[in-house]
Amino acid sequence: MHPWAWWAWALGVAAAVSMTTNPLLLALIALGLIAVILLRRTDAPWARSVAAYFVLAGVIIGIRLFFQVLLGGSVGGTVILTLPEIRLPAWAAGIRLGGAVTAEGLAWAVYDALRLSVMLLCLGAANSLANPRQALRSVPAALYEASVAVVIALSVAPQLVESTQRVRRARRLRGGTSSGLGTVTAVVIPVLADAIDRSLRLAAGMEARGFGRSRTGQGTSAALTAMLAAAALAATVGVFLLLGAPEFTAAGAGMLLAGILGTVLGLRRSGRALGVTRYRPQPWTGRDTLLAVCGATAAAAPALATASGRPALFDAFNPSVNPLVWPTLHGVMIPVVAMVLAPLAVTSPPGASSRRVS
Amino acid sequence: MTRVLDPLPRTTLDSGAVSAAAVSMRARVMLVLTAVVGLIAFAWPLFFTPGSAVDPLQAPLLFALVLPLVLAVVVSELTGNGMDVKGLALLGVLSAVGAVLRPIGTGTAGMEPIFFLLILGGRAFGPGFGFAQGAITMFASALLTAGVGPWLPYQMVAAGFVGLGGGFLPRARGRVELALLAAWGLVSAFVYGWLMDFAFWPFGIGPSTQFSFDPHADIAANLHTFVLYNLATSMGWNLGRALTTVALIVLLAPGLLHVLRRAARRAAFAPR
Repeated sequence: MHPWAWWAWALGVAAAVSMTTNPLLLALIALGLIAVILLRRTDAPWARSVAAYFVLAGVIIGIRLFFQVLLGGSVGGTVILTLPEIRLPAWAAGIRLGGAVTAEGLAWAVYDALRLSVMLLCLGAANSLANPRQALRSVPAALYEASVAVVIALSVAPQLVESTQRVRRARRLRGGTSSGLGTVTAVVIPVLADAIDRSLRLAAGMEARGFGRSRTGQGTSAALTAMLAAAALAATVGVFLLLGAPEFTAAGAGMLLAGILGTVLGLRRSGRALGVTRYRPQPWTGRDTLLAVCGATAAAAPALATASGRPALFDAFNPSVNPLVWPTLHGVMIPVVAMVLAPLAVTSPPGASSRRVS
Repeated sequence: MTRVLDPLPRTTLDSGAVSAAAVSMRARVMLVLTAVVGLIAFAWPLFFTPGSAVDPLQAPLLFALVLPLVLAVVVSELTGNGMDVKGLALLGVLSAVGAVLRPIGTGTAGMEPIFFLLILGGRAFGPGFGFAQGAITMFASALLTAGVGPWLPYQMVAAGFVGLGGGFLPRARGRVELALLAAWGLVSAFVYGWLMDFAFWPFGIGPSTQFSFDPHADIAANLHTFVLYNLATSMGWNLGRALTTVALIVLLAPGLLHVLRRAARRAAFAPR
């Protein structure tokens, strides 16, 4: 699968998650994500990172609950327990520590933390399923040099560990036994000097093979640079209007879209000045399109349900906490969960073919 | 490609022009633009109006869409038009060092052992290099530890400006230079922490506590709440980051600057 297809799917699911606080739906989505991750990840090192996202999600729920109990405002009237109360002085905004802990406040904190945790899980899924090296290979040509620098960084990083061991062994052989701060200087500086010598040798090798000689010489034109700057600025102003001026929502969305489009087109244009070809590019197949569409569909379902203006649908996606009611599932949520599970049908399990590609 | 021989190879990393000269006028415009965009992205809770089409939880995600575009434009300008192969190789290797150092510090009281490297890189090779080094270090580190998320563009912009500032410090040598670098390390470590906390404030604590971001309150009230929240929760982390950076600069800067400047001189072997 194309790495950007996985990212499109995961971001679509994350967008869907950001529009609901229903804990039952969030739990279903989380279970779906876990199923997809476990059944579709490879043995690659980045695929094992998903545990860190679980830890992060747990930590977020814990921190949110802790602050809600200690500092929660008084939402609702169902008091579960009452902690001893301390009032801070006026300069500290009159904040009240402790006091009554209400079921409504706790439910609100858990719903919101759960939403954030499941969004993190979506990112974890993308990180563990998409191959970062292949994602890097399909960046626009204008970022060719930057992606070369990242590739150098990724391939040099493991060598640094070996270099550190070599420097420390050499120190021991010379009888250097000092400990404390002196060791830091005595190890870090030789390792860095070694790394920099290595980079100069690498650069000489790259120059000898004609790297970077396909540019036409004059670089990108000033007009193109001005256009890129204007497009980036338009996108920013668009977000500014979206967030800060509710009366200009349409104009903001328009400027954001125009800015994004202008930047992408400008980057493609400036990339064409480089005569760079790709070695064995990853093809974008119909299944990749299908996976990306699944993500978009997952995001569309809650967006349409909210936009429809029907209170029953809105309440299903955002269950009330004050008064506290038991959240319920609604038929509209079936497509969301189905789209989360869709990669199991769209993609094939990692077999011999995907393990071969590093 | 037919153009095999280029009679005038481009190089900018020669001994005379190692520092700020490598930043072209165009790249300067781009960097100013990035600063404006970055400031808006970090300070969004200040101008957020309740009733807008976007939920406060979705605002950083919206910027996570726009910031990569701006970063792509500026990094492509810096690396594509202002840097030769040697600069690129140095950029890659220094980013690799940062990416390896970064996981060592996480989780232990805000130890952030990469800021000193960004500041020294910017100092030795110029502000444009410093910006690119900061952004690419964060990116490579996120790829290595699979930590790509909406926080990554923010980290890339902020770390870029840490490196950029190292290159814009006034000309000095010896102890004065060391003091300047350490002071910038202290300042940038705190500002980095505050900006990151501010942009993700509604994420970190949730919407319903007394330390939370309140879209209906005015700017002064929100800033007041944020200062209290920040003092209570992340002062220790920011202080840890600042102290680590200053200590590492004082300890390693003299030796490292020597190594980096030697590399800048040695990289000047191509004819101009």
